[in-house]
Amino acid sequence: MKMLRRAIAAITLTGIAAAILRIRGKGGVPPERGGWRELTRPPS
Amino acid sequence: MSVAVVGLGVVGARVARQLTSSSIPVLVHDRRPDVQEVTAQALKARPIDSAIDVRPDETSVVVLAMPSRQSSLTRRLVERGVSVVCTSDDVDDVRDLLELDAVARANGVSIVVGAAASPGLSGLLVAELASRVDVIDEIHVGVHGTGGPACARQHHRALAGDAPGWHDGQWITRPGGSGRELLWFPEPIGSRDCYRAELADPLTLQRAFPSATRISARVSATRRDRLTARLPMMSPPHAEGGLGGVRVEIRGSRGGERRTEVAGTAERTGIISGAVACAAAASVLSSALPTGVVVLGSADLPNGAILDDVIKRGITIFEYVGSGA
Repeated sequence: MKMLRRAIAAITLTGIAAAILRIRGKGGVPPERGGWRELTRPPS
Repeated sequence: MSVAVVGLGVVGARVARQLTSSSIPVLVHDRRPDVQEVTAQALKARPIDSAIDVRPDETSVVVLAMPSRQSSLTRRLVERGVSVVCTSDDVDDVRDLLELDAVARANGVSIVVGAAASPGLSGLLVAELASRVDVIDEIHVGVHGTGGPACARQHHRALAGDAPGWHDGQWITRPGGSGRELLWFPEPIGSRDCYRAELADPLTLQRAFPSATRISARVSATRRDRLTARLPMMSPPHAEGGLGGVRVEIRGSRGGERRTEVAGTAERTGIISGAVACAAAASVLSSALPTGVVVLGSADLPNGAILDDVIKRGITIFEYVGSGA
């Protein structure tokens, strides 16, 4: 019974930590080359 | 000939202002009498009691910018012989509007479906990029930000709805909020996590670019947005909306070589939508558009001239360069 309670507590804590990371976490790698340039259209 | 603007919220008020600044006579209508009165006085526009009361002999175009569904009013206006520019981004509404082609042709008028930021500017950007490839295989749209409160509610619903997509020649639906992809928008927006959502862009883009085999649209959202998408909105939407953006990526080939082209803009969503709707209305007014249902980006439209008009109205368009794509 004690072991079951510990397992449930561990799963709960893991879930809470995962939810916090999921909501507040940052991710992604910015492009390492290239960039935005204003589009110039040929005169119509 | 004058243009009537129905719905004077964030988008409608900007359309009316842009039109009056182009010396086009404007009629305005809003279900809120105080808003209608104030806008009419500020812009020296003529208020009208009902949207359906426009006279075809003096008003040839009506711009619909109200938050409710636009298809039924569009049908009534078209049957009276008036062209309509629709700003709706509701998927079901856009589907209904696209089915009005026969009615519009029978009455010799145009219906511009999706003349806003997304859909709207997205189609113009795809048409601009299309000239750089021989064949377009894929079109992927990313949208960030919202216009007025109605747009914010639509954004909230979109993440919980079914996201339509065109995949290898057939329509598919995926759950809104799925398919996370990190997309880079022009600065100052930068990188945003974007998810599939119930957006109308694939519907209009598939019509404009039938050769594309894959078309998808994603909207930027936080993980909190995704988690709460199926709940009522926790806080009231912002009255004006913030900085928004549209990003279009096309994949195709040129001379047998694979190419990816990206373009976008970063501006308040209401300003983008207002500029696109105004440019579309001016185009209808000058008889530059064919009769029937038209979507921006279609091959039979003067897309370059419309995009030039949008740029002239203060929207800066960017292209992504130097990535080696």
